[in-house]
Amino acid sequence: MMFPEAKILDVDLTNQKISVRSLPGEIYRLYPGGSSLGLYLILQEMQAGIEPFSPDNMLVFTVSPFTGLPVAGLSRVVVTTKSPLTGTIGDSQAGGFFPAYLKANGYDAVVFKGRAANPVYLFVNGDKVELRPADHLWGKVTGDAERLIKEELGDEGLEIAQIGPGGENLVRYAAIMNMCNRANGRNGTGAVMGSKNLKALVVKKNKIAVKAFDKEGLTTLTKNVKERIRNNESIDGLGEFGTDGDLDGFNELGFLPTNNWQTGWFPEGAESICGTTMAETILVKRDTCYTCPVRCKRVVEVPGKVDPFYGGPEYETCAAFGSYCGITDLETVALANQLCNMYGIDTISCGGTIAFAMECFEKGLFNTDDTGGMELKFGKGDNLAILIEMIAKRQGIGDLLAEGSYRAAQKVGGEALKLSISVKGQELPAHMPQFKPAVGLIYAVNPFGADHQSSEHDTFLVADPDSQERRWLGQLGVYKQYQDTFDLDDDKVRFAFDTQCFFSILDTLCLCQFVWGPAWELYGPDDIIQLCKYGIGWETSLFELMRVGERRINMMRYFNAREGFTRSDDALPERLFDPMPDGPSKGITLDKEEFEQALNTYYQFAGWDVKTGNPTETNLRKLSLDWVVKR
Amino acid sequence: MQVKVKLFFTLRRGRSRVVDIQLNPGATVKEVIINLGIKPSEVAIVMVNGHYSNMEKQVDDGDIVALFPPIGGG
Ligand code: SF4
Repeated sequence: MMFPEAKILDVDLTNQKISVRSLPGEIYRLYPGGSSLGLYLILQEMQAGIEPFSPDNMLVFTVSPFTGLPVAGLSRVVVTTKSPLTGTIGDSQAGGFFPAYLKANGYDAVVFKGRAANPVYLFVNGDKVELRPADHLWGKVTGDAERLIKEELGDEGLEIAQIGPGGENLVRYAAIMNMCNRANGRNGTGAVMGSKNLKALVVKKNKIAVKAFDKEGLTTLTKNVKERIRNNESIDGLGEFGTDGDLDGFNELGFLPTNNWQTGWFPEGAESICGTTMAETILVKRDTCYTCPVRCKRVVEVPGKVDPFYGGPEYETCAAFGSYCGITDLETVALANQLCNMYGIDTISCGGTIAFAMECFEKGLFNTDDTGGMELKFGKGDNLAILIEMIAKRQGIGDLLAEGSYRAAQKVGGEALKLSISVKGQELPAHMPQFKPAVGLIYAVNPFGADHQSSEHDTFLVADPDSQERRWLGQLGVYKQYQDTFDLDDDKVRFAFDTQCFFSILDTLCLCQFVWGPAWELYGPDDIIQLCKYGIGWETSLFELMRVGERRINMMRYFNAREGFTRSDDALPERLFDPMPDGPSKGITLDKEEFEQALNTYYQFAGWDVKTGNPTETNLRKLSLDWVVKR
Repeated sequence: MQVKVKLFFTLRRGRSRVVDIQLNPGATVKEVIINLGIKPSEVAIVMVNGHYSNMEKQVDDGDIVALFPPIGGG
């Protein structure tokens, strides 16, 4: 079989030059899409030590050979660049319809280099690709910019990935938004786009021409999909309650990050901001991505306050603006979500940074002179909207908070340094390592900062051994049964590393993790093998795919090593090693020594140097990355 | 005896957030689960009166049992 070629659109913003090239199938097979392809191009073409906001930073949008096939969970776009938040390689994924239509125009990747002299946007209509002026769009929130672009092109049939004022103003955690409610949220990719004076990437909704290699074969995955959903409680429940369905459960267990992670116990607010409450109150519709029947996306409305156009909050957003900030009111959280989508900023880092500011205020590190008169106290939701706007526009204290909690803490100094709950400068997502230590391990070692979607969670190891979740994990060699989630022994570390490689496959092939993940999702690991075979004629195995996943992680760690990152950057915030203070989890502790030991084990399992935490030359060569070493 | 059961995430579907059930003295958490028409394999984590527990645990009159399916990322 011939592996498909990758078609790459190169855009030199400085010189306004556009060209197209293709990458042979034998290379694409090693880096088959997503940030793997992005990393391949970046490591080939970008020097070490380039500042994130330099014109020489590359900004790469990628899909995969699978994007646009009519199967659930195959419409994802990945953005890869050097992150202005973490200083590491940056990686961020988003769904929606944009990815399928980017591919429908024939492209696997769009590479931006340089910086335009004035604001521009790129309009892609098949072979017709043009840079258009965007001065009149600069400063506009996403909804307004989208309307104006559709008006001036006289076309409603467009998909638009764009930045809002957050990206324009270089908020270090600015997002790239598509549909005005799907975000390449993390790592500040939107700020890099802003630094290039690039407002939007607009694609025409041309006919989706991606053809399955074996259409008949592919129906083995698609024909019973409704029944598959009905028979899968987790997936059906995800559709019903959204990702926020878990929130009050985490609280009941004593592990819902609250008041800037000082506790895991939020009895006064968890019920009111959970997914069940959302479904019973402000939810007006469930939305979806291209050909996905799961429909996990929320659309919420509060007349006169929250506009359904901007979608609705995920679990992470409800936690970041809810429990992190001690805020108990769902409408306030929904409005904060809307504002982030309008201004184009990441909800997790934004909520995490505001929670940090609240604790600084309560501890006397900020006063009302710093905040322009605002009382930044936990539980006070009335300042939230104004704070988000100030961050997006870098006004007043917003200018400091736009830097993220880590840099803000460096500036404030003293006790503030302990209050930034981040790894490599990226604020932690809402899964507590004290409850899920394997997730905590991945928070520490993940190349682009703390991330909850880069490995499987510990909770499945206490699930029934006969459950579907465990049978699927069994395909990855995960078999050990645990009584509770708190261990961090060798088997746990292997579980963390192996599932990290598996999730890395998904972020390479651009598969939605809720559809293709290795445990509770719609399809299991063996189904991916079928997808490869019927979708593009790739006869492969989990063995080859796990190598693909491992290769991506190693390329990322190699990129970081070039930038001077070492093991000391793989550290969790100190607060996480304190005993849980109250509620049902009271006294439970993540043991620091055990954690350090697990880190050693992780590097050994990964084949990396234990002292530096960086990939060894041998391991890179094992993964066909000898060209990286030779450069 | 009477036990209060709190259900989370998918275990709530077609039921409610909190259910009161009557049981014979000496019943275990597993019997609570079966009594509610839930498959024990669907339950991953059990708490009794706010403490981490398990299926074999005997419950007492007035106990509060919380049941969780395996809950992952997102
Ligand atoms: S499961 Fe949700 S996020 Fe994933 S493709 Fe379907 S609708 Fe989109």
